[in-house]
Amino acid sequence: MGFFSKLFSKPLDQLCAPIAGEAVPVSVVPDPTFSEGMLGDGIAINPTDGKVCAPCDATVDMMFTTGHAVSLVADCGAEILIHVGLETVSLEGKYFTVHAKNGDKVKKGQLLIDVDLEAVKAAGFNTITPMLVCNSSEYSTFKTHTGKNVTTADTVIELAK
Amino acid sequence: MKEFTHVINDPMGLHARPAGMLVKAVSGYASSITLTAPTGKADAKRLMAVMRLAAKQGMELTVTCEGADEEKAATELKAFLEANL
Repeated sequence: MGFFSKLFSKPLDQLCAPIAGEAVPVSVVPDPTFSEGMLGDGIAINPTDGKVCAPCDATVDMMFTTGHAVSLVADCGAEILIHVGLETVSLEGKYFTVHAKNGDKVKKGQLLIDVDLEAVKAAGFNTITPMLVCNSSEYSTFKTHTGKNVTTADTVIELAK
Repeated sequence: MKEFTHVINDPMGLHARPAGMLVKAVSGYASSITLTAPTGKADAKRLMAVMRLAAKQGMELTVTCEGADEEKAATELKAFLEANL
């Protein structure tokens, strides 16, 4: 690709962290469902704050009634899954408060789920929160930014088809 | 076309992990594979669509396989669902 085509190429779509904390590669998540990329490529956050927010402008595709996971279709086309903690489906909604429903149009940074991280930890669960792009195989550029502390205003994934 | 039904046994229903395993299991077949639940219809090769079914324990899924390897897909998927869901 030449200099000019690089200069004028479409800017990358950006996804912010869905929750504040330490951004880490998804490969370190101690659950093969996420770390082996079965659900798509992405990142994970070791959260320090219990507010799960939209990583970009999007439509809520499926808010699990248990509040432990949500899938979104980004306005840019990315299909995003945010899974709060591991095995947390078995909490059956305890410690999770849902703030959006299926079909809602949400803005970047908008609150989706409140989670009581301390309670989830005390119940014996790992709160690491993977965010995956389920259709990541459709993207030719997929950059992740991990190894640092992030807020929900920080970009953690940049992608382009 | 090959079709069979499966009643979900997993007490947590078709949540992220089983949905991911299912999508992975069907990805290798040439046939188009459709899941029909009381909550809707989904292309079994698309994770988001499968999760959107929000299929719960006790719900009946109808699996429809259509294509060159439909026979093999239906037999193997039936075994997969019985073992995992």
